[in-house]
Amino acid sequence: MEKLSILVVEDDPLARKVMAVQLKDHAVDFASDAASGRKLLESGHHALCFLDLQLGDKDEASGMELIPLACAKGVYSVVMSGHDAEAMVERAYELGCDDFYSKGNEASNVGSVIARYLNKKEGAKSDVFAERFVTEDAETRAAVKEALKYAPSELPILILGPSGSGKTNLARVLHDHSGRPGAFVAINCAAYTEDLLEAELFGYKKGAFTGANDNHKGKLLAADRGTLFLDEIGSMSLKMQTKLLKAIEERSFHPLGSERAETSRFRVISATLEDIQSLIKAGKMRFDFFQRIHGLTVELKALARRKGDILPLIAALARGGKRLAFTPEAKQRLLAHDWPGNVREVKRFVSLLAAGEDGRVGPEAVDRLLRTVRAEHGATGGFVGEEQYRYALENGLTAAVDRFSDEIIRRNLDDHGGKKTATLADLKISTRLLYAALARLRGERSEP
Amino acid sequence: MKLETLIHDINSKCSSLKDAAKLLPDATAPEYKELLALMVRQARALAEELAAFERKP
Repeated sequence: MEKLSILVVEDDPLARKVMAVQLKDHAVDFASDAASGRKLLESGHHALCFLDLQLGDKDEASGMELIPLACAKGVYSVVMSGHDAEAMVERAYELGCDDFYSKGNEASNVGSVIARYLNKKEGAKSDVFAERFVTEDAETRAAVKEALKYAPSELPILILGPSGSGKTNLARVLHDHSGRPGAFVAINCAAYTEDLLEAELFGYKKGAFTGANDNHKGKLLAADRGTLFLDEIGSMSLKMQTKLLKAIEERSFHPLGSERAETSRFRVISATLEDIQSLIKAGKMRFDFFQRIHGLTVELKALARRKGDILPLIAALARGGKRLAFTPEAKQRLLAHDWPGNVREVKRFVSLLAAGEDGRVGPEAVDRLLRTVRAEHGATGGFVGEEQYRYALENGLTAAVDRFSDEIIRRNLDDHGGKKTATLADLKISTRLLYAALARLRGERSEP
Repeated sequence: MKLETLIHDINSKCSSLKDAAKLLPDATAPEYKELLALMVRQARALAEELAAFERKP
């Protein structure tokens, strides 16, 4: 972490000692009264100052006298108080202080303050939307800005959005703005079977199961004091949700085959492309688990719903490489395309463009590369996946359509606990179609 | 001394004592000694303040 120049104005010698230990990685000056604090603040070389609210016996809030000077010197001022009477807090903020906390648990207080300071500093010097999360869309910007406010907190964040819309990227940006000293550790829950996911998350001891030839540190421990990013959280089994819920609540867990509990202070950010409420209704997500992971929910829109982002995204992704210029027709093609693979598809498009095309790009080149990208993504039209396409080729279109509608009907019935009237209304289908699907699902022939 | 001031002082001083106690397990030998000495001083100061408040007419 960056070494900061910090001033602590505190009259209590024991509190000064505690602060000295908590701030040992920084360059710290101490003052025990307002006069010496003022003198040190005048020097103007501190980035942050911690001010005790009551210095000495005279005034109840003598530490506040220093806030205007700190503001004038551009120092991030933090008031520490033995009591947090609302009037005091209000007065401190009116005077211009940046932060206020009640004394007690300084390890956590000091860490959070520094994280908030760094977050503010980062926010001031870099434009997240120009570099890290490119978007011109007002709604998306507002959602990301809101999430960034909570980046330094412990609040769990749930990111919703279709595949490729930038969920992992946003999670990483939030971690980078959190000021947390630990690592960003990501895991795609859909990529593992239940047993493997448990081993990956919790780790294991040598000999815990067949094939466990060495000790393995799990993701929970790797994310200690950092961020654990759980991608595709909707695919996690109920059993795993129960185990993870306990680890999140207790900050403690047992690696497989270990008698000893490990502790880890990770912050959870999770993401899914599924409809969480439907998962809960269908009994596929525990409500208490959901409550634990969704302190703040951020919804990212598909690129098709924020077309104003397409050209800025291409420009940002091409930055540092070959300078590209699109003809007006080529731009029209780019904007007309729906980008079902979202940002991931744009990335692939740009890399193909940069590798094989001239700097000036026409509509033919755009059409050709979009076809290539779509074929690579296994999507023939964005709505039909490769698996469905192959099934139709092998079994005929009618069988493929039946299977497709049967799956949708079954899922909707599950969502409604088997209530057929609700499914008829939701899917706007006839009773005949519903019963035909049910018969097929039971393995029976539908009546003519 | 006002009751409000006393409450403030108790909160502040006890907070420092609790935070200092948490540092003891990982403290080096000289730091351990210094922390303990400061804690004793703090606890005495608090006891004296309470006694003075009790004596107040």
